[in-house]
Amino acid sequence: MKSSILISLLLCLPAAALAQGRGGGRAPQKKAAPSQQRKIFPYNYTIDDLPNGLRLVTVPTDQPNLVALYIVVHTGSRNEVEPGKSGYAHFFEHLMFRGSRNFTPAQRDEILKRTGASSNAYTSDDRTVYHEVFSKEDLDKVMELEGDRFKYLQYEPAEFKTESLAVLGEYNKNSANPTSKLFEVLRETAFKTHTYAHTTMGYVKDIEDFPNQYEYSRQFFSRYYRPENVTVLLVGDVTRERALALVKKNMGDWQRGNFTPDIPKEPEQDAPREATVEWASPTLPYLAVAYRAPAYSDEAKDKIALDLLSSIAFGENSDIYQKLVLKEQKVDFVSAGADDMIDPELFTVFTRVKKEEDVPYVREQVLATVKRYSTELVPQKKLDDTRSRFRYGFAQAMDSSQAIAGALAPYLALRRTPETMNKLFALADTVTPQDLRDMAAKYLKESNRTIVTLATKKGGGAATGGAK
Amino acid sequence: MTRRTLSLSLALCLLAMSAMTTNAQRRGAKKPARTPAAPVSAAKAGDEVLMPTSSPLISFRILFMTGSAADPAGKEGLANLTASMLSDGGSRLMSYDQITEAFYPMAAGFSSQVDKEMTVFTGTTHVDNHSRYYAIIRQMLLDPGFREDDFARVKTDAVNYLKVSLRQSNDEELGKEALYNIIYAGHPYGHHNAGRVSALESITLQDVRDFYRANYTRATFVLGLAGGYPKDFPAKVRADFAKLPAEQTPVNNFFTPHLEPGTQVEIVKRDTRSTAISIGFPVNVTRADKDFAALAVAASYFGQHRSSNSYLYQRLREARGLNYGDYAYVEYFPRGMFRFEPEPNLGRQQQIFQIWIRPVEPQNGHFTLRAALYEFDKLVRDGISQESFEQTREFLSKYVNILTQTQNARLGYALDSRYYRVGDYNQFMREQLAKLTLADVNRAIKEHLLTNRMRIVVVTKDAEALRDAIVANKPSPITYNSPKPQRIMDEDKVIQTYPIEVKAENVRIVPVDQVFQ
Repeated sequence: MKSSILISLLLCLPAAALAQGRGGGRAPQKKAAPSQQRKIFPYNYTIDDLPNGLRLVTVPTDQPNLVALYIVVHTGSRNEVEPGKSGYAHFFEHLMFRGSRNFTPAQRDEILKRTGASSNAYTSDDRTVYHEVFSKEDLDKVMELEGDRFKYLQYEPAEFKTESLAVLGEYNKNSANPTSKLFEVLRETAFKTHTYAHTTMGYVKDIEDFPNQYEYSRQFFSRYYRPENVTVLLVGDVTRERALALVKKNMGDWQRGNFTPDIPKEPEQDAPREATVEWASPTLPYLAVAYRAPAYSDEAKDKIALDLLSSIAFGENSDIYQKLVLKEQKVDFVSAGADDMIDPELFTVFTRVKKEEDVPYVREQVLATVKRYSTELVPQKKLDDTRSRFRYGFAQAMDSSQAIAGALAPYLALRRTPETMNKLFALADTVTPQDLRDMAAKYLKESNRTIVTLATKKGGGAATGGAK
Repeated sequence: MTRRTLSLSLALCLLAMSAMTTNAQRRGAKKPARTPAAPVSAAKAGDEVLMPTSSPLISFRILFMTGSAADPAGKEGLANLTASMLSDGGSRLMSYDQITEAFYPMAAGFSSQVDKEMTVFTGTTHVDNHSRYYAIIRQMLLDPGFREDDFARVKTDAVNYLKVSLRQSNDEELGKEALYNIIYAGHPYGHHNAGRVSALESITLQDVRDFYRANYTRATFVLGLAGGYPKDFPAKVRADFAKLPAEQTPVNNFFTPHLEPGTQVEIVKRDTRSTAISIGFPVNVTRADKDFAALAVAASYFGQHRSSNSYLYQRLREARGLNYGDYAYVEYFPRGMFRFEPEPNLGRQQQIFQIWIRPVEPQNGHFTLRAALYEFDKLVRDGISQESFEQTREFLSKYVNILTQTQNARLGYALDSRYYRVGDYNQFMREQLAKLTLADVNRAIKEHLLTNRMRIVVVTKDAEALRDAIVANKPSPITYNSPKPQRIMDEDKVIQTYPIEVKAENVRIVPVDQVFQ
């Protein structure tokens, strides 16, 4: 049993969960009322809004010495609205390591090296997150570095061009894996207008053109790297007072911006879509069956209902998993899920089939499972077990300050407050078997569907079928 | 410096899964050239690492001192299949689907990791569920079901992991693992932990039963427990595992591999967009040796994993934009493209020094290989500076806190410290680093990294052209998309003709479908 996968899945789900008795919220904590005792996010936290629009969320924990700093920019590949700019948010993430007014990249590296920091960043559709974990005594210096680059990023055209090659290198390393291509095709098939039509990595033709877009990079920075579009999260051995003082000192004079992106709306899908990918080298075939899914919400039930159903219908002890993975052994895994997104994106069932001739059968089984839950009621016990699973899964993932910060960051990108997790859990508790069925009937319908299969190109080498 | 969409991360994670490794009978070995200072490959009965805390979580790391080095010849992969049958198969009383059903509301999992000398079973449970959870994993480990249908599944998974996930989906891990296979050819470490494709196909369920009986014993068992478990819980676990057979497993002292002098290059030919490079050679240093901290400083300075704070990364990626990253290691670190910190419980008596060059554009493959060797030779020749030494030492002294920031990681490191006999890892590293001088590091670099037995693996499409270029020491000029400082241009002139001294017969082309075969 692959617990690492389990945790990944749980982190992708809206972690409904649990409290170990501590309340949360901005107000001074009183004794928690009974309903608060089941808050999924069990840590005390504070929220401070600066006049320039920057928000600070501070979560002191009892893990000694270390502080996790996550700076969440509410911009990702969703913001890549102009043609030829796919992958730009991610490229820009790289540029943020190329120097600022008062620190060259070498100086920055030297300072971070002396802090013993683990430092990195990632970009997704809806956010770009810069994160560091380090010893608490180095917080002042790290905040100074961060303030400088978020306010005064500075790089020369030659460095800009060199960094574009590192992104191409990243594309290259990923390109060996056929699933990179599969997801690229899935997105462009399922979306025609919205920027979710391209992946965060972007198209290689756009990546290859990055070196020519220096001026656009300055525009991108000016649009999105503004305090009202950023949330600073500090978790660990830190107090609110210290965190707030340092954020005010280093980011308090950051100038507010005024750009609002015009993200195109995706029209309703009115018919099923399908695409196939021929892969040049030998692979087992992959199958992705996707449906337009609801956007994240902590108020409307549909998205959390979908997450619960996803686990029930396609999780490790679902009927289809037991049948296709364990009994018939037609596929080597089945996974399913819908990310929490600002705009409606996809619920995807993803599987790898051991023999190419079984692809139609497996597809039929996936479709039959989807249909079944659009008409049948899930037993109440199964629903309750799934809520329990979410609760414990979340608690088990919260095993360090870094893990807490990592889990919070996506929710801050969506709603700028940890409270959204508590609201989501409370909402999950109200979901009924009828809600699951109604949601499935509404979203998991044929006209909302996109199917992509990937298999070895004919003549490209024999696919392998395993030991049996 | 990045992750991408979550769904893609998940997909990659799934591909990476089969985190496979195993144990088995030691194969025939040549006379040791050198054995490590303090090998510990067998456990004493009753060995355990207990870390009680007030956490609501309980972490299990149940370790058996056996692994893929114990795979019998012709049955490579047996240790891994055995571990998979325990962690991914049913117990005698419960089928695997019943186990997944029972684990479901607890969000519990149970996984295995097999390396050369260690097999570890890990799981975490909330304290609310610990009795139910433990009752199930106890049965899985002590009373396995060994069903034919589970066996067919885990065996197919292992074969597909090698044939599809490793050979055809991840050129970086392919190159890194192929490098280990070459360096350890003829050695008990000489095959992938998941086995060999042809051998896996011949392994039977009876082989698994026999391996389990011989290798899962009181002598190999080490209990690792951390978290808020009840006081009497360790005694209960101890009593349960006392039912394991008492057979003594012989202590294995794994020798340093004998490599032919000279550089050897293996070019794995595969239809792929880019070119992945791995370079390495054996080093006689583990955590148990006095020079470990010195080499850890050298490797971190030269190529700290996934960090821009290192020399090679600065020269190849930052200055030249050749690829996504360039790193160096003194300990085995599998699946590094998916992880920032290594998994614990990969303890080995033998390690290699490894340089990992992330994929480059094929036209820059020869230049990049030369650049990596040029920088490495410079490291060995010149050592590191006082300033770099101090920065790197400070980094590592603090970085240990990040390596061990979770309860599960602390437990894993504590088990490894038991294996290497070094005491608390954080304290050990901080003390060793504090004692270290620049002279120690530069002496250790000369003593351990000066080699005439370099092994290189390149995964690329146009294998023949690269082979011919390497053998002929053909110049490999490079062009850039932006102006470079004069010092880089001058250095490039040296690098583009930097000789790789290798005999023609020592540059081999291997079709990808023969790797791990």
